[in-house]
Amino acid sequence: MAADSPTSVRKVVVHLRATGDAPILKQSKFKIAGTDKFAKVIEFLRRQLHRETLFVYVNSAFSPNPDELVVDLYNNFGFDGKLVVNYACSMAWG
Amino acid sequence: MSEAQKYVWKGAIPLQIHLHESEVTTLPPPPPALVLAPRIGYLPLLISLLKPHFSATLPPGVDTIWFEYKGLHLKWYIPTGVLFDLLCMEPERPWNLTVHFRGYPSNLLLPCEGEDSVKWSFINSLKEAAYVITGNCKNIMNMSQTDQVDLWGSVLNGNLESYSRVSSKLKLETFEDEYTENVDSASTKSQQSTGDAEAVGQVKTSRIPVRLYLWAVNEDFDDFEDAPVIDNWDKVSYINRPVEIHKEDGKYFSLNDAVKRLLPEYFPESSFGNEGDASINQSAGEEGENSCDPESSSHTVEIAEIKCVRIQGIEPSLEVPFSWVVNNLMNPEYFLHMCVCLKVSEANALQ
Repeated sequence: MAADSPTSVRKVVVHLRATGDAPILKQSKFKIAGTDKFAKVIEFLRRQLHRETLFVYVNSAFSPNPDELVVDLYNNFGFDGKLVVNYACSMAWG
Repeated sequence: MSEAQKYVWKGAIPLQIHLHESEVTTLPPPPPALVLAPRIGYLPLLISLLKPHFSATLPPGVDTIWFEYKGLHLKWYIPTGVLFDLLCMEPERPWNLTVHFRGYPSNLLLPCEGEDSVKWSFINSLKEAAYVITGNCKNIMNMSQTDQVDLWGSVLNGNLESYSRVSSKLKLETFEDEYTENVDSASTKSQQSTGDAEAVGQVKTSRIPVRLYLWAVNEDFDDFEDAPVIDNWDKVSYINRPVEIHKEDGKYFSLNDAVKRLLPEYFPESSFGNEGDASINQSAGEEGENSCDPESSSHTVEIAEIKCVRIQGIEPSLEVPFSWVVNNLMNPEYFLHMCVCLKVSEANALQ
């Protein structure tokens, strides 16, 4: 299926940025397969921050659907070679 | 608003909903509930109709509603009409679904806390669409509280007049008319259609937000009755890519062009040529990369065939101008949801 195509096997650099009172992570950049769903990014943050409730945004703008592929988000909303993901412990941008 | 839009907003799926046997505590079991579910609506919103019907028989506990079709759990954030178009290729009327009020499968489905979750998902999709169209979500963020309530209310109640009144303030009109569309005059055009002076040079009104549900089959079939069943979400690729409307020498951009552009993995040699990025003013700060991968252009054989494209319950001719499809068949959150079935020959699919 589409996942096998050469476009989607590459890795995407995700840049994590804390918002509000959310703790800052030691490692703010990581690579993830483009074929992974955004849910994996959320899951990673939950584990790192030990929190069940977390608000995760792209470009300080909107929360993507967790089923969206990282490569689609990168192609649509990424810049300077990375996808900026903001996280907050309370709702930040509506 | 067009006639087609009115049809889309009035569109509904007749559902026959059965309570799952594990939640039936009375004899005889309750009869199934018959409801009309709006195409542009979402399944969890039906709770106010279903709860009274089944409440007398439910075991004690807290309600978290979810649905199944032939054992497949239904994703609640996908509009009901899209679920029907995708999972019920040979339309079944009424559509027989199973409802659960207990035992939410949180390992399979995103958490859903009723209407609030659905509204949150809707607003975020709207913001995402706005970002695709204008390069930011300011228009959505700056909406007044009243407008937000009215917008969501219009979707809940299927009120197209009220929706048009509020949504026109968002300045997200894609484009008025395919035939006057001209890529070269994109900047003047964006001024007219957004009326937002700050956004000049940023806005390109011909980026269309699309959510595409791709279902690829290996064996051919003549009738949807014989089509393989989607019994697992892994069989559906959920693709979110904007379409750039391209116009070449008086040739309009068709639905067929749009599907092929959305799926370069399957249609590598589609004739859009290399003009690609050069002729398209990518908005500032946006990744200029085209989803067409140069590697895949080396394939010379077409490896896939479009079996069917279904949007809002219809299968438009692939020659229909894409602008018509977008303006008339998009959902209220400004995404065009397309169900696409491709026939891919097995040997090629492995490449």
